[in-house]
Amino acid sequence: MSWQILSGTLEQGLMYAVMVVGVYLTFRVLNYADLSVDGSFTLGAAIAATLIVSGYNPWLATGAAFAGGVMAGIFTGVLHTKFKITPLLSGILTMTALYSINLRVMGKANISLLNTRTIFTDFTKLPFLEDYSVMVLSLVTVIIIGFFVYRFLLTEVGLALRATGDNELMIQSQGVNIEIMKIMGLAISNGLVAFAGSYVAQNQQFADAGMGIGMIIAGLASVIIGEVLIGTSSIGRTVAAVIFGGVMYRVIIALVLQMGLKPTDLKMVTAFIVIIALVSPGIKNKVFSLRDRAGAVKGESHADNP
Amino acid sequence: MLTIRNITRIFNKGTINEKIALNGVSLELAKGDFVTVIGSNGAGKSTLLNAVAGNFSVDAGEIFIEGTNVTKLPQHKRAEFISRVFQDPMLGTAASMTIEENMVMARRRGHHRRLRKAITSKDRTVLMQELKKLGLGLEARLTNRVSLLSGGQRQALTLLMATLQTPKLLLLDEHTAALDPKTADKVLELTRSVAEASHLTTFMVTHNLEHALNIGNRTIMMHEGRIILDISGDERAGMTIEGLLEMFGKASGKHLVNDKMLLA
Repeated sequence: MSWQILSGTLEQGLMYAVMVVGVYLTFRVLNYADLSVDGSFTLGAAIAATLIVSGYNPWLATGAAFAGGVMAGIFTGVLHTKFKITPLLSGILTMTALYSINLRVMGKANISLLNTRTIFTDFTKLPFLEDYSVMVLSLVTVIIIGFFVYRFLLTEVGLALRATGDNELMIQSQGVNIEIMKIMGLAISNGLVAFAGSYVAQNQQFADAGMGIGMIIAGLASVIIGEVLIGTSSIGRTVAAVIFGGVMYRVIIALVLQMGLKPTDLKMVTAFIVIIALVSPGIKNKVFSLRDRAGAVKGESHADNP
Repeated sequence: MLTIRNITRIFNKGTINEKIALNGVSLELAKGDFVTVIGSNGAGKSTLLNAVAGNFSVDAGEIFIEGTNVTKLPQHKRAEFISRVFQDPMLGTAASMTIEENMVMARRRGHHRRLRKAITSKDRTVLMQELKKLGLGLEARLTNRVSLLSGGQRQALTLLMATLQTPKLLLLDEHTAALDPKTADKVLELTRSVAEASHLTTFMVTHNLEHALNIGNRTIMMHEGRIILDISGDERAGMTIEGLLEMFGKASGKHLVNDKMLLA
């Protein structure tokens, strides 16, 4: 892989990693498979692109994208908690509604950001950063976001959020309103996803109504890849793992493209990554239990090292 | 302290499966009362406990805790007054979180949760001292995930968590039923000591008639959604398991050959 392709891949990976942190918050922390991600990623891109071509400050536009994602997350959360619609269906409803909303926001199916001022062109003006502005800005962004999410998950509110995903009855009996927790988790998650969408749009210099399709699966694949490669022994490690997973996912995709598959095949490849990741723990357990049984025959004990 | 006035709860109302789970139950607990609740399956013991905890709303009647009408309050708002230990040891704690995280969550039961670091090193010292009371060696495992603990350890931890922030009312729903006899005795002994230490008003549902008579200062028996027996003081002190079964037969109009129906 040439340096140019690799650096481009890493840049993209760091941007997508912000989205992956969002997916981690719902998928793992809240234990909620939130499909609104497909819509809110595009929403972020659409809001940022529309505001930028209308002449607004790109940093303001990026902030607006985050706010838009938060709204989308709240909508999904209210559908689920107040109207008792299942998590999957709540997400699908939001995603579907967002497809039309995104087209409304943009006024057309895609917007070009060629030769406009973006957060990245602002950054290029800084000394020594001409060639690495995208990389540096994305890296700084994902580190800051990762740090805040990590700290947040260790606060009193963060603990309540995690417990909501683990044991609803328990945390309710400790006096926490789980409906508020779920809405909050979905809001932060979709805010981060939309934020990532606005970065990606500004980097590739266009926003497109279909750019979020399959985003949730890419997010899940990244979370799983990161968890397997880095581990989940603590919150800090898990947050680092999902960020790394987001970057690794892009690297894997780049490698697959180098092998000669077409970009249009990527969704299928991603789906297979998730399928393998979801199926493999079952296979792994079987292998381990076979090995344990063999060990037990030899008189070895595994009981005291869980 | 706890006043239950004429509460009724009907499951599957208006269908062929309609069941009157609570049929105009009234009960008054004084501060510091430790009441044990017995009765056959489907008698309404757990339903009564869940009605007090707020798992569902009642169809009629009112519930007061220290003069506050909690009848309409959702479960999470009643947590300000109430601590619970469940029958299933898995339900009282968050398995994927550490022992110390579970404990600090319980310490803020019924309080506003803030955006500040949940555990400081000062907290750790306090939590360790609390854990030492259990005598299970858990004080050395503060940062272990709860999923690594046995059922008995988890139940003991849940009980400790229930008292970290002294509740007005402690609800125990057959909390020793899923444990082996030895562990069950240990957890029961712990229950007795924590309840005595802070003079907790306690409501304990049990299937074990021996436990029901040995612990606490009052025993009530339920049958078909009503309280059919309520004993305390000398009457209770002189009561035997056989006596309880006999009274059950008289009060319910059913004759029991043995205590299987009550223990089932």
